Amino acid sequence: MNAILEVKNLTTVFGPRAAPIKAVSNVSFEVSPGRVLGLVGESGSGKSVTARSVMRLLSARGRVTEGSVMFEGQDILELSEKDMLNKRGKDIAMVFQDPQSTLNPVVRVGTQIMEALEVHGVSKAEARERAKELLDQVGIPEPETALDRYPHQFSGGMRQRVVIAIALAHKPKLLIADEPTTALDVTIQAQILQLLADLRHQLGIAVIMITHDMGVVAELCDDLVVMYAGRVVERGTVEEVFRAPRHAYTAALFSAMPSVDGNEDILRAIPGNPPVATNLPSGCAFRDRCSFADDRCKNVIPELFQLSDTHSAACARADEHERDLSPPIPAQVASNSNEASGKEDTPILEVRNLHTDVNASAKGLFRKHNPIYAVDDISFKVFPGQTLGLVGESGCGKSTLSRTIVGINQVTSGSIIVDGRDVTAMSDEDRKHIAKTLQYVFQDPSGSLNPRRTIGQSLQEALEIVGLHGDAALRRSHELADQVGLSRTHLARFPYELSGGQKQRVGIARALSVNPKVLICDEPVSALDVSIQAQIINLLAQLRDELNLGFLFIAHDLSVVRHISDQLAVMYLGRFVETGAAHQIYNAPNHPYTKSLLSAIPTADIDVDPTQRIVLTGDMPSLANPPSGCRFRTRCPMGPVYANGRQSCVDLDPKLIDAGDARLSACHHWKDVTKAMTTEALK
Amino acid sequence: MTTSVQKTSWRTNPTLIRYALAFQSSKGMAALALVFAITSVALLAPVLFPQGYDFQTRNALVGPSWQHPFGTDEIGRDLMVRAIYGLRTDLGLIFTAVPLSMAIGTILGLLGIISRRLGDWVQRGLDVIAGFPGLILGICIVIVVGTGWLALFIAITIAGLPSFGRLARATLLTQMNREYVIAAMTLGVSKWKIMIRHILPQAAETIIAQGAVFVVAAVFIEAALSIVGLGLQPPEPSLGTLLNIGMLYVTLTPMYVIGPTVILIILALAFSLLADALNEAVNQR
Amino acid sequence: MHAVTFFYKTHGWQTKMLRFLARKIPSVMVVALISSMIAFILPRFAPGDPAVAIAGSEATPEQLAAVRAELGLDQPLVLQYWDWLAGVFQGDLGMSLITKRPVSELILSGLESTLELTLLATILMITVGLVLGVLGGAKSTGLGRLLLDVVTTIFLATPPFLTGLILIVLLGIVTPILPVSGEVLLSEDFVEGLKYLILPALALAIPQGALVARLLQTTMTAMRNEDFVDLAKAKGVRPGLILRRHVLRNSWGPAVVAIGLRIGDLLAGAIVVEAIFARNGLGSLAVLSVQSRDYFVLQALILGAVIIAVVIQLLCEIILATLDPRIRLEG
Repeated sequence: MNAILEVKNLTTVFGPRAAPIKAVSNVSFEVSPGRVLGLVGESGSGKSVTARSVMRLLSARGRVTEGSVMFEGQDILELSEKDMLNKRGKDIAMVFQDPQSTLNPVVRVGTQIMEALEVHGVSKAEARERAKELLDQVGIPEPETALDRYPHQFSGGMRQRVVIAIALAHKPKLLIADEPTTALDVTIQAQILQLLADLRHQLGIAVIMITHDMGVVAELCDDLVVMYAGRVVERGTVEEVFRAPRHAYTAALFSAMPSVDGNEDILRAIPGNPPVATNLPSGCAFRDRCSFADDRCKNVIPELFQLSDTHSAACARADEHERDLSPPIPAQVASNSNEASGKEDTPILEVRNLHTDVNASAKGLFRKHNPIYAVDDISFKVFPGQTLGLVGESGCGKSTLSRTIVGINQVTSGSIIVDGRDVTAMSDEDRKHIAKTLQYVFQDPSGSLNPRRTIGQSLQEALEIVGLHGDAALRRSHELADQVGLSRTHLARFPYELSGGQKQRVGIARALSVNPKVLICDEPVSALDVSIQAQIINLLAQLRDELNLGFLFIAHDLSVVRHISDQLAVMYLGRFVETGAAHQIYNAPNHPYTKSLLSAIPTADIDVDPTQRIVLTGDMPSLANPPSGCRFRTRCPMGPVYANGRQSCVDLDPKLIDAGDARLSACHHWKDVTKAMTTEALK
Repeated sequence: MTTSVQKTSWRTNPTLIRYALAFQSSKGMAALALVFAITSVALLAPVLFPQGYDFQTRNALVGPSWQHPFGTDEIGRDLMVRAIYGLRTDLGLIFTAVPLSMAIGTILGLLGIISRRLGDWVQRGLDVIAGFPGLILGICIVIVVGTGWLALFIAITIAGLPSFGRLARATLLTQMNREYVIAAMTLGVSKWKIMIRHILPQAAETIIAQGAVFVVAAVFIEAALSIVGLGLQPPEPSLGTLLNIGMLYVTLTPMYVIGPTVILIILALAFSLLADALNEAVNQR
Repeated sequence: MHAVTFFYKTHGWQTKMLRFLARKIPSVMVVALISSMIAFILPRFAPGDPAVAIAGSEATPEQLAAVRAELGLDQPLVLQYWDWLAGVFQGDLGMSLITKRPVSELILSGLESTLELTLLATILMITVGLVLGVLGGAKSTGLGRLLLDVVTTIFLATPPFLTGLILIVLLGIVTPILPVSGEVLLSEDFVEGLKYLILPALALAIPQGALVARLLQTTMTAMRNEDFVDLAKAKGVRPGLILRRHVLRNSWGPAVVAIGLRIGDLLAGAIVVEAIFARNGLGSLAVLSVQSRDYFVLQALILGAVIIAVVIQLLCEIILATLDPRIRLEG
């Protein structure tokens, strides 16, 4: 193997010279042509800083203090800025995370692609031809017209394709992709991953794939570097590391990941919080959270221990080959929620034929009003002690639905019944009733806490509502802190002093402070690191069982809700397309969209063949102008676009119909789903 | 309200940290020092110069000397003393009209919490005022109430309303979409508590920073109107009236104009630096 | 995607601009109408009776009544307003109470002087603003940036009349290069006129230009931290091109808005600057009219200033819309 890039002992620091903060310490790895290296870690692990050090694109406050970055035998760090300009974009290219902000909004897409070519000496005419070719290569229809469009005229997925086209413009020898699919929806992520996989086979370039998702690694990468607190803790081929992780952190990460095929109700969460670069523990940075740590870990930072030619791990126990380094399975908590089902048959929250017009504010005297129903004829029930998982991609209307229930959006028609009371009218009394019965856990734990107020003040605001003041409120906030696994000292702190996971615990405590009977959890873990996600999901499940709460648990992919849901509803373009018992839907979905969603999630399992995946084409249509008949038909792999004789999908709007076992499906051909939705059948 | 229950260290208060950081920069320090110096000189004027601004010496229209750093005016009054009393007049005007304008503007801008429509109407009203450039507005007020302190006071107060109102409204609209405000609403916290706890503190910060910006504009309104003879009237000195008369003698003793000009510039500089530092504090993460 | 293509083809650029204007113009009309009411009403609140001012304090009640009837002051206010407004549309702005000449004549006589002043000042303001702004925004650190910062801050803290006074002292008295008082119209003698024009125009332009510059600097600094600048760096684009194509192109919008707002202030600033430099423009006319309580002249001047300010802001919004494809294409 002849490496094209060799990073040796790279150390990057930030901040003032007097008190530098190490973001990356002593990192070494190499990449060879035609191979994809996965650089894996959680936020703050130093993976992006490593990539930017290689590109020499660090912000003004950061600098490399040690090590070398050999690219084709030449140390990049020694190059003059002028020589580096010639390398960037030509030999080394980069794809960034958020396609919404990486394209210049006021410059035509074509110009932006051509720019990458022209700055390295390609003529304008040639550049335009090449740009067209590139757009075609990354799967953008009508390249000629697309060149003259502006970024805002493309969807997020399409924009990311443009960014990839820019990166590929010069056929670079090395491509660095920094979380290129994280900001995208699951079905779009699957498209982009497929594109990257195809391109890498076509072009044979070396790729560094930065990601936090082991599923992406399993799907796309050949080699793997796991980073934690700025250091490499394990590296090797994907095969080696996935078969037998030899660092306790890697092993813990695997078992903490929510997955679509996992069966356990409780995830094996990694306890504690990731360390911050300003305050690293002595010795092994992971020791506080490790189930196997002993005195050795306290004193020495472990070196990478060579396990094979390619595999090494920086763990004191790396050589204990026989030991499974996965954290122990936690004791089963309280009751299994499934047992509770059927005991209570009065729903605590019920929604009947709900419609929400999100265009209602545009009503004017002179304008014709076109209603846009982000929630279109939705009905469901939530029972005490049970979870209804609600899954859909961004823009499907799931957030509007939850906001309508708590009265932030206005009900257009239908009814909402909370704990036996019809609150559709949202009178002041209704709102009081809702506030006491139904609470909300938000997606962004930072955004949901006022940065000016201490945790205690935030909780007290909620406690005042139930009439608790002074000492009583203090006692109750201590109880709540205990209940959600926070220390009482946290109450005097401000949000910025807490980690993301801790803030989300505060959010949960605040929701619980009014003793609600239902919690609406709006993507409560999607802003959190994998190792923290599991903690929060477990906490929520435990609270649900202890307090007999009903959950409406909203998520954008099916893996997260898997572990907590009893019932499941899948939403597409304002409507439910499938509902039913969770385990049944996971085993045999009755709607092609559900099946595609399940298939789109990358699984951290190297035995799964990624080519067997069903990848939806195109983007979700606009809510303002939904397709006739079945709303999914424009993307449906078994629908009229691909299969003959499906005219009913175009003509008839499918209602949710009984598909047996108390399941509903809004597909005319739901009986065919299992048979038709396999990669062979779809060829 | 909650301090009785919890002891919170002020050292960790993020709001205080932001302001401390902003004012530790050389710019912030300079702003504080200048503002402090200017206000104390103006406040202490009667102590420093007990003879008052009308004390006449024998020498009229002399140039700068150790005794009279700015020289004397046409009837022999010390120009530096007059300039400092003028500063006192200006600051007196600013420190009453600007806070009033800030308060009214904030209230107008936050009226939108009662209903969206009310907010829209208020905004339209403010747009009309904003259509009148500062000096034109001043002239309109002078037409109605005549020249003098009151006209300036009203003109400055009204001139500030559009910017303060718009800022307050912008803060209201962004804060209402913040998740912590939505969280409070779903908890059933009343609008007024949400206003006081979540919206007002944020609005206050941006409006105070804008207030410092507007002080500069207010000084200019006073000086400009006075220079053309529509501002304050003699005998009370203000920086503008000094310049108004100084214009007549500018060829004889340029210091008649330069003195008050320097003080005006220092005043404006102090508050622009203060505004910069305050804005920095607001925008710090 | 296909829906976008369809939309793009069927609605031409002109249609979009028309639609844009159709949305903006009503609010402009409302502002103009309310301003006209204010301009009309304000003088009526003023102390003193215009009839007395004309007929003299010795006049008999009959004489006063005759004057009122002649001026239409005995009519109901609404009717007076209507008559005045109708007159405005026909170019008849009424008669000056003091000089007894038509207001339109008075305004015309001062118009050229003020137009020359404000036009040159606008050009200078834009130049100063863009030059200082782009220079300051191009560098983020170093001595050059510090120097520019200091210059901008001092310009900012110096209002037009002060700049005027300083210029008078420096260039008129200490080293007499340019005339500091009086005027020659450009139409009479271009070169000589320009000499008289430069100082007042600079005085007006510099502080307003500094405001534009400061805003441009802040916007550019913010743009430099955008992700698309990172992407451009990763493409290997030279810093100069990054500045031109990525940073500057995204900063023009706020600069245009700032310039629009500043032109209104520039008009108002002319009042003081004309007084300082002893020019006989509309500003001097305004000051004179306030002092002599010549309401019909004032009405017309206030209305004119506000309408010009509003129209310029509308123009800026149109420019803004054409600069930004997100607004241009979606309407």
